[in-house]
Amino acid sequence: MAEDVKPTRKNLMAIEDRIELSERGHDTLEQKRDGLIMEFMDILDQAQDVREDLNANYETAQRKLDMARAMEGDVAVRGAAAALHDHPEITTQSKNIMGVVVPQIESSKVKKSLDERGYGLLGSSARIDEAADAYEELLETIILAAEVETAMKKMLTEIETTKRRVNALEFKLLPDLYENQEYIEQKLEEQEREEIFRMKKIKAKKEEQEAEEREAEAESAVEATVTSD
Amino acid sequence: MSQEIAVIGSPEFTTGFRLAGVRVCENVPDDRKDEQLDDAVEDVLADDDVGIIVMHDDDMPHLSRGTRKAVETSVEPTLVTLGGGAGSGGLRGQIKRAIGIDLMEDED
Repeated sequence: MAEDVKPTRKNLMAIEDRIELSERGHDTLEQKRDGLIMEFMDILDQAQDVREDLNANYETAQRKLDMARAMEGDVAVRGAAAALHDHPEITTQSKNIMGVVVPQIESSKVKKSLDERGYGLLGSSARIDEAADAYEELLETIILAAEVETAMKKMLTEIETTKRRVNALEFKLLPDLYENQEYIEQKLEEQEREEIFRMKKIKAKKEEQEAEEREAEAESAVEATVTSD
Repeated sequence: MSQEIAVIGSPEFTTGFRLAGVRVCENVPDDRKDEQLDDAVEDVLADDDVGIIVMHDDDMPHLSRGTRKAVETSVEPTLVTLGGGAGSGGLRGQIKRAIGIDLMEDED
């Protein structure tokens, strides 16, 4: 509330400094928000491509698994799955996009050759191998999707935060500061006008007093002349 | 630190991932999803060794509101849903909120 501020020159200067800083911050945050949105749009295109690949790979993998189940039986497929001893691992590194730390996920042991799978060449069939291959490929796409979608989530969070800050400056802080500035300026002008009016009054009173004194002096001078004659 | 991929869903959904070597699989039968899926997701979310959670998009409505929000907004581990569009996993709503327009409109 503007009425809460003391209308002094010192406060006016402090508010003007804050307005300058807030306007600068508002411009910078707006630029950051726009930059983040542009970066986000690039990632969004990439994410949509990855999603399409993910859905296509999932359908293929499912189809191949269904085929393996139908031809070899569920027990054989589960048996092959239980025999695996190498497990896919991921390591996460980070990169910075306009102050937002996004992950870069690297994977190992996702794609395996037949002899690395552990269920042996004789114990399985080509259909199980094909299903395993398809799921390994699906895992690779999932890892890529995780990287892109995490980057998207982080950027969206940052965009939301920046947007909220911009709005707070634009619609709350700056209007309050302008209102306070206007209030203090008006109060100071009012005080100045009152001061001028008071000075004029004092001056008029002083002049009146001086005139009276001069009149009295003139009268006493006349009286003195009359008595000396 | 190396992490693993976790798969949560029905046994039919997880079998294929087991075949690709995924070790962390939470099997929740279709008829027990309403009771057990929340616990399975919370267990995996609390596991520091898990970097990616894979779920089917159709399983998401079985989660309670709190767990669903926790898993959708989680960055580490991050959720990847299969069988849904580009806006699945809560991304569509988040994009609408942050950017102000529905960029995933053409996807559905």
